[in-house]
Amino acid sequence: MEKLKTASDLEKLRKNLINKKNSKNTVVSICSGTGCQAYTSENVVKAFIEEIKKQKLENKVDVKRTGCHGFCEKGPVVVIYPKEICYLQVKPADVSEIVTQTLAQGKTVDRLLYTDKKTDKKIVTESEIPFYKNQKRLIFGNNRRIDPKDIDDYIALGGYKALTKALLEMKPTQVLDEVKNSNLRGRGGGGFPAGRKWETTRNASETPKYVIVNCDEGDPGAYMDRSLMEGNPHSVIEGFIIGAYAIGSNQGYIYIRQEYPLAVENTEQAIKQAREYGFLGKNILGSGFDFDITIHRGAGAFVSGESSALMSAVEGCVGEPRSKYIHTAISGVWNKPTCLNNVETWANVPFIINNGSKWFSDIGTKDSKGTKIFSLVGNVNNTGLVEVPMGITLREIIYDIGGGIPNGKKLKAVQTGGPSGGCIPENLLDLHVDFDELSKVGSMMGSGGMIVMDEDTCMVDVARYFVNFLADESCGKCIPCREGLRHMIQILDKITSGDATEKDIELLQELSEVVQMASLCALGQTAPNPILSTLKYFRNEYEAHLRGECPAKVCKPLITYYIDPKKCKACGLCLKNCPTNAITGQKKEPHVIHIEKCTKCGTCFDVCKFDAVVKKTGEKNKNKKEKTIVAG
Amino acid sequence: MAKEKNKTDFVGVRLTKEQTKALSKLQKNSELSKTDVLLRGLEILSEYYALGLDRPPLNMELKKLEQEAIHHLNELKKIKQKEDAVKQLVQELKDVDQIIDEYNGEKSALIQILLKIQAKNSWLPKPALLWVSERLDIPMSQILNIATFYKAFSLEPRGKHLVRVCLGTACHVRGGPKILQAAEQFLGIKSGETTSDFKFTLESVNCLGCCALGPVMMVDEEYHGKLTPSKVGDILSDYQKDTKKVEEKIIAQ
Repeated sequence: MEKLKTASDLEKLRKNLINKKNSKNTVVSICSGTGCQAYTSENVVKAFIEEIKKQKLENKVDVKRTGCHGFCEKGPVVVIYPKEICYLQVKPADVSEIVTQTLAQGKTVDRLLYTDKKTDKKIVTESEIPFYKNQKRLIFGNNRRIDPKDIDDYIALGGYKALTKALLEMKPTQVLDEVKNSNLRGRGGGGFPAGRKWETTRNASETPKYVIVNCDEGDPGAYMDRSLMEGNPHSVIEGFIIGAYAIGSNQGYIYIRQEYPLAVENTEQAIKQAREYGFLGKNILGSGFDFDITIHRGAGAFVSGESSALMSAVEGCVGEPRSKYIHTAISGVWNKPTCLNNVETWANVPFIINNGSKWFSDIGTKDSKGTKIFSLVGNVNNTGLVEVPMGITLREIIYDIGGGIPNGKKLKAVQTGGPSGGCIPENLLDLHVDFDELSKVGSMMGSGGMIVMDEDTCMVDVARYFVNFLADESCGKCIPCREGLRHMIQILDKITSGDATEKDIELLQELSEVVQMASLCALGQTAPNPILSTLKYFRNEYEAHLRGECPAKVCKPLITYYIDPKKCKACGLCLKNCPTNAITGQKKEPHVIHIEKCTKCGTCFDVCKFDAVVKKTGEKNKNKKEKTIVAG
Repeated sequence: MAKEKNKTDFVGVRLTKEQTKALSKLQKNSELSKTDVLLRGLEILSEYYALGLDRPPLNMELKKLEQEAIHHLNELKKIKQKEDAVKQLVQELKDVDQIIDEYNGEKSALIQILLKIQAKNSWLPKPALLWVSERLDIPMSQILNIATFYKAFSLEPRGKHLVRVCLGTACHVRGGPKILQAAEQFLGIKSGETTSDFKFTLESVNCLGCCALGPVMMVDEEYHGKLTPSKVGDILSDYQKDTKKVEEKIIAQ
């Protein structure tokens, strides 16, 4: 690769690449995101390469491994361009049929197409599938067209155009103004205006200045940063360089979570290629601006995603937060001004520079502009990554894009904002999703996790799960968070085992408010959100637990398993599978569960084909009452 | 009585059957009388005794020498083992050196260096940490602070395969805890423990970042999604077999 020295060099390269691409007609793009790789997409890729060779189509067809397409539920996903034919759940055994039918003869293989559940019709093109049709794919859209390991793919699609525009046609302050005018808000959780943050660092007196990409996506249930970093690393890098130019920084760090090895691999490769073309290094594109990037891998600590903790980790120290009476934008890494933004925030920048702040601020609501990527997961039909304009309703996301709740179950709540967010009940589904609306109902945008919960989810158990998680991840530096969360778990344990009273709930509420007010960093300050929001919307469930009932039949101490003798066909399946031998029964006789031996693991419930195993709740208190009567 | 029968008297010397046979053979070859041969033999024997070689007998002496030789051999083996251990340690420290040099010995790269050591050994051996402390001039207390703070590090040896069961929110609502239970049952250990044969270490993690496939389990670098408790045993037993193959390979090498 030759270093590009001017803007015209880049345009020449782009033209060459486009011409080269046009000479080949068909492209088979196979999703190789982590999700599809788990479905062994690599075997599909190999099968395609082999079959194409076998049928002598190498000169007409290109095979491409791309980043995550987002429709992870139906992976591995294969899209054939230019017709955009989308095949879902493709197995290596299907490949020869696709090559013979579609690539050689131009016919579609109907059984691999998406079937619309409402009309039972087959849908051929990717963009017509309801999951994609109702999205606005801006940041995430190029993932499916790009091989993340090949910078040429990104350049051919207009990549690094924004960089040349910013570096050669605009002054740093003009870039800054453009971002400020766009009203881009940080996508990492807090929603702080990115432009204002940039300005603070730019105006800080100390030098050198640093910039950081935060890809420490620790929120359980969220993986959009991963898919962006893995699938289109150059879009983040381009935005990052533009930001550094506006801020006046010459050194950047990309902090990537330890659990994301593929993201590290692809980003390393992308940085290497960007250096070879001269987008990084000294005198970028002849503008006189120098900038380079170092990757810093995380080592597994949720709290390290907090900005001051992350900066401490970059310095090579323990990733604990500090009190921010001086903002990190003024005194961050090595006490120098440091601007930290989330992956998605940086990836928005090239779009703003290319299309202008006006175009960007036309998308979204009054105070939340642009689009947001959510990871739509949990009890929903179409799990995956969805990019939607701000202001869309939760109902549209869950039902139009997500396809509703599986197995005919009812929706109970949607949890947004990760462990620090809150649970939104079904009756608020018409809420317009943006930063402020979500905060108003006691939740938050967070990094964009959206976990759908059906009627079989116990909200007290969910609250306990989150507090447990946060107590585990609390660094222990400040007492309200460390001790407060520990005691909150104790109370929640008491509630979920049916031993609590009304007073415990009052204490829980009070404790939550103290932790919220007195904690050092955002982890502690937002930790009570799951409790407060469930107390607000699902207080009846807490009260049921006081009576010894778990309405969703989840909390182990409050349920018992029991075999309905009328339904039991004495097949012996539960008896064979029971790990503690708690089930007895003869042939042709209904089986019985012996409660004293039962560990309530639920295996019998899962294996029974006749729905004869039933969960009961409320038995515990009945026994208690009976006992007291006897004692009395 | 039977023994008595086997023996014959010869010039006042008691001989066994075999001795008589040997005597006849000698006599035939030497064309001397049996008595002459016997007397000559006794003469030689007395000469031998006169030399004072009877105590201790020769074969005992030989055994002693043999034992000494074995002892020395064992010592040599031990020395060789020690030498190998030292060589290995030196090699390990050289590897650590190489990792440190990759980062130009920068103090701020401490976490990155520890991550690479962890990836190489699957745990952080003490000599390696001491060496890092020496080279980077960072006190051991600070290194241990980091090694115990972050979840990626282990100060104890871990199994050949690292099994990580995801208990993130998406996996939690789709039955992740049951997957962990199944893995615990199959391996016979609790989360956070290592099997006694060092084949598996079981851990639960808070999110593996492929939530759409929940519940998810990761074995080494491979993801296994959309699990049911019954699938867990099948997957893990595949790795168990694989371990055998790996062991065979190591032995073959």
